[in-house]
Amino acid sequence: MRPETSINPGLEVTVLVSIGRHPVTGRARRADQDARGVELARSLEGAEVQLLHAGEQAETSEAALRGYLGMGFSELSLLEQPQGADVVPALAEALDAAAPHLVITGERAERGEGSGLLPYLLAERLGWPLVSGLAAVEGVENGVATLLQALPRGQRRRLKVRLPAIVTVDGAAPAPRQSAYGPARRGTFEALAGPVCHDEEWAEWQVQPARKRPKRLKIVKAASARDRFKAAAAKAEGGGGQVLTDVTPEQGAEAILKLLREEEVLR
Amino acid sequence: MLDTLLPILIFAALALAVIGAGRRVRLWRQGRPARVDLLKGLAAMPRRYLVDLHHVVARDKVMSNTHVATAGGFVAAAVLMILVHGLGLAEGVLGWLLLLASATMFVGSLFVARRRRNPPSRLSRGPWMRLPKSLMAFSLSVFLITLPTVGILPEDFGHWILAILLSAVLVWGLGEMVFGMAWGGPMKHAFAGALHLAFHRRAERFGEGNRSTGLKALDLDDENATLGVETPSDFTWNQLLGFDACVQCGRCEAVCPAFAAGQPLNPKKLIQDMVVGLAGGSDARYAGSPYPDRPVGEHHGSPHGPIVAREGKALVDAETLWSCTTCRACVEECPMMIEHVDAIVDMRRFLTLEHGQTPGKGAEVLDNLIATDNPGGFDPGARMHWAADLELPLMAQQGQAEVLLWLGDGAYDMRNQRTLRSLVKVLRAAGVDFAVLGDEERDSGDVARRLGDEATFQSLARRNIATLSKYRFERIVTCDPHSFHVLGNEYGELGGDYAVSHHSTFIAELHDAGRLEFRAWKGGRVTYHDPCYLGRYNGEFEAPRNVLKALGIEVAEMQRSGYRSRCCGGGGGAPITDVPGKQRIPDMRMGDVQETGADLVAVGCPQCTAMLEGVVDSDADVRDIAELVAEALVDSAPSKVSKPRLAQQPLAEEVA
Repeated sequence: MRPETSINPGLEVTVLVSIGRHPVTGRARRADQDARGVELARSLEGAEVQLLHAGEQAETSEAALRGYLGMGFSELSLLEQPQGADVVPALAEALDAAAPHLVITGERAERGEGSGLLPYLLAERLGWPLVSGLAAVEGVENGVATLLQALPRGQRRRLKVRLPAIVTVDGAAPAPRQSAYGPARRGTFEALAGPVCHDEEWAEWQVQPARKRPKRLKIVKAASARDRFKAAAAKAEGGGGQVLTDVTPEQGAEAILKLLREEEVLR
Repeated sequence: MLDTLLPILIFAALALAVIGAGRRVRLWRQGRPARVDLLKGLAAMPRRYLVDLHHVVARDKVMSNTHVATAGGFVAAAVLMILVHGLGLAEGVLGWLLLLASATMFVGSLFVARRRRNPPSRLSRGPWMRLPKSLMAFSLSVFLITLPTVGILPEDFGHWILAILLSAVLVWGLGEMVFGMAWGGPMKHAFAGALHLAFHRRAERFGEGNRSTGLKALDLDDENATLGVETPSDFTWNQLLGFDACVQCGRCEAVCPAFAAGQPLNPKKLIQDMVVGLAGGSDARYAGSPYPDRPVGEHHGSPHGPIVAREGKALVDAETLWSCTTCRACVEECPMMIEHVDAIVDMRRFLTLEHGQTPGKGAEVLDNLIATDNPGGFDPGARMHWAADLELPLMAQQGQAEVLLWLGDGAYDMRNQRTLRSLVKVLRAAGVDFAVLGDEERDSGDVARRLGDEATFQSLARRNIATLSKYRFERIVTCDPHSFHVLGNEYGELGGDYAVSHHSTFIAELHDAGRLEFRAWKGGRVTYHDPCYLGRYNGEFEAPRNVLKALGIEVAEMQRSGYRSRCCGGGGGAPITDVPGKQRIPDMRMGDVQETGADLVAVGCPQCTAMLEGVVDSDADVRDIAELVAEALVDSAPSKVSKPRLAQQPLAEEVA
């Protein structure tokens, strides 16, 4: 079901799109979360939506980027960056210059560093508010957007945010529409120049396929179907959690370090 | 007085007909250009009409004889009438011949009238109900007017009032038969039909035993061309001509599985909607069965307007196009040789490639095909897991083999894996030199193409062709008729020409060569379900039956079998788009099976197996021919591997 949206004339939206990676075959594709971001932007009636990608234009990446064009766009702005570059400065400069009202992006990239930090770094540089895990944009009025944020287990939180703002979407946002071959083929890339900043740390990193993380087994000892159902539907019990308020950064860091040691993430 | 009146009437009707014909031709020419050899087509037309078309019409003997008398009588009478009454060449035998022709036509029209007394629901009513009367008016008036001409009656017989009356009846007849033919009356089918036969888009389908069933490739290199068909004028001109040839006999409607299931498709209405589109207007005047649950009169279109609206209503609803299983029953049955499936896929191409509106799970399946080369989104590296213990020879290691065994996407399906294992057992028992592509194989592109995604089809096809070109083999054998059809009939246009056989054909050949020996059949009653893509698409009706016969099985045929076999509902991406209806197509097919009292239905297609086995509460088992053969093998036959068959003893059983 598409969320109800008001008509937003003159609302300028930029969606940051990246090159995804299919989880099974590793082929380049439109990234799932970014595509959901595009879908969210498309559902804002009357909004002017711009697609922006920072990266190099190669044959494999072009097919993936055309996947976004196939969602009904005639143009995609391409901020040309060599491989291994830190795209944050270039994106920040481009967004500062274009000054859109709303920037939508996925939670984290499917290839490269994939740390999920880019939206935060951009928000910090631009000084804009950031809302993560969006399910819908309910409306924009007088420069204030009403957003619906997705929380675990289907809960939603309504937020009001002054624009311009950066928002990120994850799997809770509506599924992206099908990418059509015709518009994807006809769409054009508009090359933008931007500052190039080599990410020297990244260059030194070694990349290897991730090992599957061990999962904690949830052993359910239930005698009846009703018990099994209750166990499956039950909320995960936090139990040992701890809420820290009004603590100094040092105290907070210590608490986190202690937890990491307990969980044997750090040894 | 008639001597002066008749030539005027006849030539006036002819002149009006010529003007009307010109207008009709202009309507057809709104379509895209098509490469057709006009002169060769016209020269071939009489043969196509008298042999190929008659062959289809003659499946209904009474109607065929009726049509021969009526149409033959009319053509002869019309030509002779122009000579005798138009040009006044009454001397000699001509007048008598005219009497004979009009009398024959009259007899024919009596039979037409009889059929129209209680017409079956598949026939259109409306203007078609007056056709027998018009036929009689024409034939009777021509007959009576000719009587004085040959001297049976005196020249001045009767009163001038009688002459006026006769002329009035003749005007009615001429109006329907000559004027109406060119101006869109029921007789339009004769004029458009003759030209449609001459300029048919599949000239290669005519002639004894010829078939042309592969979809035609879309030119993806031309960046400015519309992808698929958006408006009626995006069809080629000869397709538009073909739609206009429809005689609304409803034979397609009677055999369409989607129509019978209550899905919103009726091939006859679809073709009529295209006619509405090419002339412009609304479908309110359509007088046949509507699309199930879709009232007539709410749709309208124009030659350059959209066929399917992005939102709201236009000429046709998208669900209508997505209901088709591409079983080709309508095409097989159409006496006018109209190509319904081509048109439907053309329109689907536009919806998928331009609008990105493939319904149901379509988008997901297409994404999977793009990303993983199989519709289920499985790991391409897991394609051979089912055969981990079989040590199948790989083409990559051997480079060549007599037979390339094409597995199809059924390799990922646990049900079809049983069929594949059986087939491997059979091939080994016969000592066949075969190899598989293994993980190098990709989906053949069948589903993508029929869902309208020509780009993904061509991408898959080109990569498969490149893989196949690396190896040497005599032929491809597959147990999937869809792969069979695509590899055999549709890869050719993209540069891949292969000899492809269905496994039933190959097993029949092995048996004939004495390489397989079977134990006698001890099971119960067996019927056989013809897969559309094996039977109607490729004309293979005999081999599966021969294999069953060799097994000692006497097939209890279903009423609808052979070229009239009813679809299982699994083709054309129909299970993926899943348009709701009142009942399910496979349920109806299992009903057909039950009517024969069979305990087992033999099939030869993974899709059919899945669809028919998915029917709940069915008495009949569903088994692939390969499974039946593998079970009946006599072990003394030359066998490389004589391992005990594990599959017969299930390793685990559900007990609760």
